[in-house]
Order: sequence, then structure tokens, then C-alpha cells
Amino acid sequence: MEMPKVTRRTFLKVSAGTGAAAAAAPRLLRAMETELGGKDFGPVTGAERKAIPINCHVCNIQDGAIAYVENDRVVKLEGNPEHVSTRGRLCAKGNAGMWYSYDPDRILYPLKRVGARGEGKWKRITWDEALTELAAKLDAALKEDPNTIMLKYGRQRTGGVIDRFMQTLGSATVLNHTSVCESSKKIAMEPTWGPDIETPDFANTKYVLNFGSNILEAAYFHNPLSQRITEGRVDNHMKIVTFDVRLSNTAGFSDEWIPVHPGTDGAVALAMGHVILRDNLQDSDFINTWTNVTVDELKAHYKQYTPEWASKLSGVPAETIERIAREFATTKPATLFTYRGPCKHLYGSYNEKSCMMLPIMTGNIEKPGGYCLPRGMGWPQPQPQPPKPAHRSYLADHPDYPLAGHKVAHLVPFWIADGKQKINVYISYQDNPVYTNPGSVAVWGKLFRDEKLIPYYVSMSPFMGEETALADLILPDCPYLERWEPESMPNSLWPWLGIRQPVHKSLGESRENRVMMRDIIWKLDPDGKRGMKQYWNFKDGEDYMRHHFDNVPGLKEAGGLDFLKKHGVWPIYGKLDPRTGKVNDKTGREIKAEYGLYMKELSAADMTGTTVEKDGAIHKNGKAIGVRRNGRNYVGFPTGNRLINIRVDAWAEYGFNPMPTFKRIPSHETMKDDELVLVTFKLNVMKQSRTAAVKWLAEIAHSNPMWINTATAAKIGVKTGDLVRVESKVGYLVTKAYVTEGIHPRTVAIPTGFGHWEYGRLATLKLKEKKGAAGHGQDDPDLENVWWEDKGVHPNNIIPAVVDPIGGSQGWYDTVVRVTKAGPNDKYGDTQGDWQKHYEAYKETLRYAYTGDLHRKMHPEMASWGGPESVEHKAPSGH
Amino acid sequence: MIRDLLGIEEVEAAAGETSVPVASPAATAAEVRERAAVYRLLSGAFVEEPSREFLDAVRTPDAQRRFAEAGLRLDDDFTGAPFDELAETLAVEYTTLFAASGGFPPVESVRLYGRFKQEPNFDTMQLYKRHGFVLQPGRFEVFADQLGVELMFVAELLERQAAALDREDAKGSRRLDKDIKRFWVQHPGRWVRGYAGLVQRAAHHSFYREMARLLDGFAAEEIAAMGLAVEDADQARLVVPKAEIKVEFDPNEPVCNGCVGEALAAQEKVQTLHDLR
Repeated sequence: MEMPKVTRRTFLKVSAGTGAAAAAAPRLLRAMETELGGKDFGPVTGAERKAIPINCHVCNIQDGAIAYVENDRVVKLEGNPEHVSTRGRLCAKGNAGMWYSYDPDRILYPLKRVGARGEGKWKRITWDEALTELAAKLDAALKEDPNTIMLKYGRQRTGGVIDRFMQTLGSATVLNHTSVCESSKKIAMEPTWGPDIETPDFANTKYVLNFGSNILEAAYFHNPLSQRITEGRVDNHMKIVTFDVRLSNTAGFSDEWIPVHPGTDGAVALAMGHVILRDNLQDSDFINTWTNVTVDELKAHYKQYTPEWASKLSGVPAETIERIAREFATTKPATLFTYRGPCKHLYGSYNEKSCMMLPIMTGNIEKPGGYCLPRGMGWPQPQPQPPKPAHRSYLADHPDYPLAGHKVAHLVPFWIADGKQKINVYISYQDNPVYTNPGSVAVWGKLFRDEKLIPYYVSMSPFMGEETALADLILPDCPYLERWEPESMPNSLWPWLGIRQPVHKSLGESRENRVMMRDIIWKLDPDGKRGMKQYWNFKDGEDYMRHHFDNVPGLKEAGGLDFLKKHGVWPIYGKLDPRTGKVNDKTGREIKAEYGLYMKELSAADMTGTTVEKDGAIHKNGKAIGVRRNGRNYVGFPTGNRLINIRVDAWAEYGFNPMPTFKRIPSHETMKDDELVLVTFKLNVMKQSRTAAVKWLAEIAHSNPMWINTATAAKIGVKTGDLVRVESKVGYLVTKAYVTEGIHPRTVAIPTGFGHWEYGRLATLKLKEKKGAAGHGQDDPDLENVWWEDKGVHPNNIIPAVVDPIGGSQGWYDTVVRVTKAGPNDKYGDTQGDWQKHYEAYKETLRYAYTGDLHRKMHPEMASWGGPESVEHKAPSGH
Repeated sequence: MIRDLLGIEEVEAAAGETSVPVASPAATAAEVRERAAVYRLLSGAFVEEPSREFLDAVRTPDAQRRFAEAGLRLDDDFTGAPFDELAETLAVEYTTLFAASGGFPPVESVRLYGRFKQEPNFDTMQLYKRHGFVLQPGRFEVFADQLGVELMFVAELLERQAAALDREDAKGSRRLDKDIKRFWVQHPGRWVRGYAGLVQRAAHHSFYREMARLLDGFAAEEIAAMGLAVEDADQARLVVPKAEIKVEFDPNEPVCNGCVGEALAAQEKVQTLHDLR
């Protein structure tokens, strides 16, 4: 029988004639990546893997995630499609999170130091031995003064456990990491409009001003905001303008990257405000109704901030400032976002305030596509709760920085060295100041090594970070995939509650923080007679979560904690559309956010028993609950007077300018021609100190050459890859240069997260260096796969402490350096910081405090201020 | 080595006799128990810091003599140190080598996969369960694929085998023998010899150095005696000298998407990963 002759051409002819039939044929296979969100299958067995919803905690954005567990181990992490903010996506860091759990350098047992501090000699002890020893130390400290027990935390999301622990002990000496983070942004925003952060509605805007944030790689809310800013660009054709010293990936994504001299964003923003007000482009109705100043007052105040003035300071052409100001004011809606760029400077609070004035004066507040208030949710605390400590702590509530409500923790070593407060027991929790703080090992390393200053140091950590290596006792904490924690983060326009839950039993003998702290208290007060145990009456982490979540209205009806265990987040606003990547409601339409929160009207019941002040503030039970405007009663903004306070009177009490202003950094003003400003930044796969040991991330990024402008490099004869010596007033380092047009000519930039000298084999590559030598860890089979030799150079040793006298922030981007080609004796990775020089820098920065001798000189406009003696120290208001 | 340690006498085959004597079940059971004792000794050395009782037992003159006869060279740091000092020193050494950051945990998952709690942990846990064992914490909680636990498991199976032989349950004995062999091939055989070599090189204290030597020799003899063919994947991995690694990119290139000039200059040297494979 003759077979039909079918050639390729015949096939194609068939195809051409049967297109309709092909389209009508049933389609039974779909692409998994878009259809199967929330499910995963073992490639060998084909069996569905156990999916446990969590909130990611590699960094602090709190993306919704799912841990897929096979054979009792996490084999994959991906986004939770039910999470309204992150909508099924995780970043590279989140995908690599299981490395924390299974890291071969993870600490799995209590360890007691047996050699000198930092020598690296440990003895494994039982939990009972560890708790007995610690309880004895705490007991002795309690007898002397509870405030001699100090706890400093870094990234903590315990939902109140740290404060409960310290309040149980009666100590107020609780320090955080916020001053090296973004505290001046918070301190600028809180008295102005209430919350400490904004939510820019990128997806619906037409225009974005981005001052010093790198949304696409690192800034606060990297993943959810990256999604929205991309949508705004693609779906809404918005324009984005980025002011940054460096051509970050966000700057590269922008329509315009405008390089500014470090620390001058505030001047540019003020000049833009000047243009807007001069040209009458402001939203007068909004200003007059919802702020505590009038348009006329504002116009008069802004008159001084001309584009020409700002241009001289920032290097941004005056015509560019004029143009961008007009574009911003005339494009509706428009929004603005900032992160560390403006605020991490001496007077960073002024910079932040000046930036946030732009959406305020143009009335872009709480509108679709505008500059919105953050949305979050709270949860109740288990009862009973311990009372607040009886006495203030000098370290936690420093009298020279009364407005810095988020504390000034990076000065703690100097204050302790100065004998301002005695510490008997120092406890750290997820905090590595020896690496992350200014002065690094030169300052914090010195503090921890000195047993007179810190007689007993306990680190609660799963990893041997630079700080933990100096501890006397290590209590093995759990990485995030093994912890119970409550969550809510305002990372989109939809509020949510969520949890982290253990995806499997904690490894070794590690204990999650709340259980560890409970056990310490139980050891101190076994029979409850000291009154401590009553605050720690819970069985385990899950039991604690039930206290938080089983009675939240709405969630309770949905199932309380059991709902969260199943879904990871509540509420679930709709279903993720795999085609658009957006969340749709039951009708198939994209969900819409609620806007105009401050315009919500108070009900008659709300108004019962209220009084209305002359300025319109509505008071009830001694608290402002709303504001009357044009005869109607609104909730207003969550400030003391329910308005936006463009004029912050509390600042004036301490001799600071209460109105938007700018102060040039004196050390920048006097920079010589061969001096540059050193700034730092983060790459998309690195966070502060805890990612260098994550193999998948370290393989992507492990070295950190210093960015230097082409023209600047040419002046000193440096090309990419050359070694350079970078000297500041407190020390020097030797690193490699990366010559690029993508940085301001007066700036050099070094990414952080590299150059570890502790934190395990991968972060340090220490064991590779030691291969073949007598010692332990050589011939590690996994390190044979590490193909890179360069671990980078950490810059913090040469960055001095600088304090914003208002917000308390570290001036990370103020360091003046001199960069030269490395000499014959300079080796890659050399670094030296000098305690005495750091101490002098600390003394210098104190001069800018409201009690310092330079305060008046920096504020001639506040000549009528009565001086430091005219004010009484009050409890700070930050949270 | 192991025969010396256990005091097993070699029986020379006379001319014309078979060299494979058939041992009685009782004699086989005794030998199996002696093997189990060595497994227990090694398990005790590696599963956690030596306890007072363990040290008492290994410092008896008889044990010392047996160690010496087996060619183990325990130094004065072990034989001459005051008891409490020795216990403390060994606890610190144990922590440094096996239980603290920067050490090399005696855990199969770490040795073969570079991470805690990988497939070997699950496999061994399942295996123990199938044989009716549950892993319980000692002084400390350890992984199922920890060296001491794997050795302990073999010891338990050997004792079951000895009991089977005692009751003349040949089938049961053979089944257990197979189980032990299978376990060796799937788990300790894949890593303990290489690992023992590492401990010998890295240990400061003669106790761990010599226990690692014992483990090394014993493992080799056990594998040979059981007629197993299993390659050690720990230290026997193929190591490609760095100089010979050719990659599609310049490994020294900064990770900032830059260094174009340098990368171009190095282009001639660059080959593909395909070539390497």
C-alpha cells in the first residue's frame, strides 16, 4: 500500500487551512508558572508538596511567601498569591531564605565562651546550664539597678516580646537599630502628618519624584513597590524623575536621573516648592484647610529658597529645578518617594521634611495616584502586661537628643565609655553593630572586647556574626522559617495581618526568641513569687499567637489563628489574575483601594461627649479624635491636632527651625578639591549583614568595588580594577575601583553587605584561606564549589558617627574622604579605624545637638530662642 | 587494626585445609557483638562530648592496652591529663570541631550536601523508624544522620543480629546482615572514611585524632569484610585546580555590571562551561 507522501511543506499547508479548528481544539495544558500559584510538585515523585504560608523575613519588607516542604525540609520558597501586597512574587533574597535554616555554620546549641573574648573558643552547654548562668547574672544586675541590663535589637519582628521581656525585668535600657536605619525620615514625618512612612500610589500616578530611594533593588518596600512602579510605568505611562548621587537601577529605570551633591536633596525640594508657590501652582484649598499654615505664610517662607540658591548647593541646574517643579505641580496625580538619600545626613530630618512638602503643597495627599498614608493593622497583646519601667535609661533616652524618638543607639559605645550609664548585662538580639554601625569594629569591637565596659555579653543569634563572636554566652535563636511571629506591614494600599509560622521543627536545640525569653523569666521566677512569671504564661509560640489573633474582629469570625495558619494573611481581597498579575474581586475586576482616609466623617456616636477647640480640633476623653473643617467633622490626620503640621512647634522649643528648611553640612561646605563624599548602598541581593552567608546570593554578589566617576578617576590616574586607598578622618581602607559615569563626580560609593570577618565560611572565605593549615574547617567539601576569591571590603570602619540633632539618624552619607591610588604597601582589604579618632568625631557631632555650641550658629533664624536652659526634657514621642 | 583491638586471633590455614572455616553461630554471635562494641565506642566518641563514664571506661589500663595494640597513639594530653581537665579540654575541642560555627559538623547532610537536614537526614530517620527505632536526645539533640547516630544504628542492628544468632534464627541474621550492608552503602560508606581523614588532620587533641584513625581503619575493614563496593564521596571528590577552571565570565569581575574594559581584555582566556564539562 502506498503511504501518503507528507512533506514539511504539506504539513504547513494543512496548518494554513485548519487554523480555526486548531483554535477550537480543547487545551488541557497550561503553563504552570502562571496557573499553579500556591502549589508545587516534586519533580521525581510528582506528588504535591506541603505548602506552608509564611511572611518572608530575609529583609524587612514582609513579603507573603509559601514554603514548600518535602521530606521535612524546605525545598522551595515562592510568593503567596493570596497576599495582597506582594501578589505571589518574591525577590531573589526571599527565594534563597532556606539557606538560613540549613547553614552549616548555624549555631544549634548554647555556647559558652572559654577563651578570651573573640578568641573563638567555645564550649557547648545545656540550656539548663545556660539559663542558670544567665539568671544568676541578671539577678545580680537586678539587685543593683534593673537599668544595668541592656538589650539592643536589630531586625526584630517579635510583635512586642522584647519590650515585654525588658519590662518584666524593669529595665528601660532597650535600644534598637533605627538610628543607623531611617530614623530621621520617621522623625520628620511623625510630627508632620502622624505616621512614619508614606505609601506612594505608584500604580495609578502620572508623575513620580524619587529622592534617594532605590525601589527596584533595596528600598523599603522593594518588592511590592517595584511591582506598582512598573505598573505605573507600563499601564499608566507615568513619568519618573530620580534624584540620586548614583545611577542605581531605579535611576536607570527613570525618565530622568538627576545627580545631586550628597545631602542637598532638601535644597532642591525647597527650591521646587519655591517655584510652585511663586507660580501659584499650589493647592491652596488643601493647604488652608488641612495644614497648620496658610498659603500666604508658606509663600513668604519659601521665597528665600530660589532655584539659583539650590543649584549652587546641589549642582542641579536652576532651569532643571524650575522645569521639574512645574511638571510635578501640573501633572495630576503625582506622588513622591524618599528613602535614605535625603535623611541619612546631619539635619536629615530637614531634608525629609522639605521633600514631603511637595505632595502636601500640591494637594496630592490621599488621592488615587498620590502620596498616601500607610495602611496597617494591629493586634492585642496577651494579658496581663508588665508595667513600664520605673526609671528612664540614659542610653535609651538621651537628654541631648530629646526629639530623636527612635533613639540614637549608634552613640552607645561612647556613652558607655564616658561612664554615662553602667551596664552589667548586655543582651543583643539579631543585631550586629560590630559590622553594621559607624565605626564598626574600631568602635563596637572595642566596646565588646572591654570586659570593664561590658562585663557580661549574651548574644541571641543563630549565626556567628561579628558581634556574636565577641559574646560570653550564645543562645541559639531560630531563623525566620522556624519562628512564630505576628506581622502587618504597610507595604501597599491594602492593610493586612499575617504570620510567620515554623515550617518544621527548629534544628538542633535552637529556640525561638519568645520561648527563650520565657525560659529566662521562668528560671528567674520559677514559682511566680517575684511577679514576673505571670507575664509569660504561655505554652509555646503558637499559643502566644492565639492570644494575638483569636479575638481580632473580622479575623475571629474567619477562624482566627487557624485562618492565618492556612492562608498566611488576612483578609484575602480577591484572586490573583495570572494574566495581569493583579488581584481581582469576585466580579473579575481589579480591586480598588480606599482613599481619602483623613476625610472620613465622624459619626454622631463618635461626636458624643466631644469638645471642639478654636482651631477645629475635636477632643474626647483628653485626646484629639478629629477636626472640624467647613462645618463638618472629619477624622483628620493622626497628629495631635489632626492636621498636617507644616510648622512643627516642638522643634522650635529646642531651637530648631519649625518650618521646612535646609542646612548645609559644614564639612561638605569646606571640602577641598581633592576631597570626595563617601556614600554606601545596597545591591538587590544583599541586606545589612545577614546575606553574605547565603550561598545563592553570595554567588551573585560577593565583591564590592568602589564606584568612582570617570573624570574623578582620571584625575588620580585610576582605572577599573585598580587598588585605591580611601582615607577619612577616622581611618582608611584599600579597595578596588569601578570607574563609571554613573556617579556624581564629587562622590564615591561602596555597597555594603561584603567584607565580613565573621559570619561563617561563605561570608568570610576564611576557611579557604586556611586550607591546609592546622585548624578546623579546611577541606570543606562545599567550599570547593566556591569559585570566587574576593569577599569584598567593608567600609564602616572608616565612617565616623554623625548624628542628626533632630531625628538622631547616623549621617551615613556625610563622610569626607580622600581617594588616592594605592601605594606599594597597600593590600586589598586593608582597613583601619582608630577609636580615638572616632571618639573625637563623636564629640564633634555632639556640638550640633541642641545643647551644643554649634546649634545657634547653625540656626541664626532662631535667634529669639531662649537656649537649652529654656526647655525641659520630655519623654520622646517616637514609636 | 580491628582484629588487634578486639583481640581476634588469626587462624593460619594448614596445608590442604580450606581457608574459610565455618564459624559456629555462637562464635559468629560473639564476633558480631565485638563489632557492635567498636561501633558503640566510636559512636560514643563522636555523638557528643565524652561523659565522665565514657572517659572512665576508655582510660582503664585494659582499654589503653587494647588501643596501643591496635596501633592507636594516644598522647599524654589524653593519658596524663587530670580527669576533670581532660573532660573540659575534650568538651571544648568537641565544640570547636563539631558543634560550633566554623567547624565541620559530623553530619552526613553537611558533608555531602553542604547543608544541615538534607536527604540523608530524612532517609536515616525513615530507616530508623522502619527498624523500630526512635531518635531521642542524649545530653544534646542531634541529627539522625549524625556520625554517632549512624554508628549507633549499626551497633543496634549488630546486637539484633547477635540475638538472632543466639536463637539460631539464620534467616533473621541474614536479613539483618543485608540491612547493615545496605545501610553502609547508602550512608556511612559514602562519607565516614573521608571525614575521618579530615578529623585526623584537623584535631588538636590526640583523642579525636586517634578516634578518627580508628574510625578510618575500622570503616575500611568493615567495608572490605562485608564485601561492599562504595566510594567515599566526602574527601574523595574530584577537585579541579582553580587554575584549570574556565568559566564563561571573569570571576574577578566586580559584580556591578561594569569593568567592561577588563572583561574584554580577558576575553581571549575565557572559555565556556561546556568545555569544562
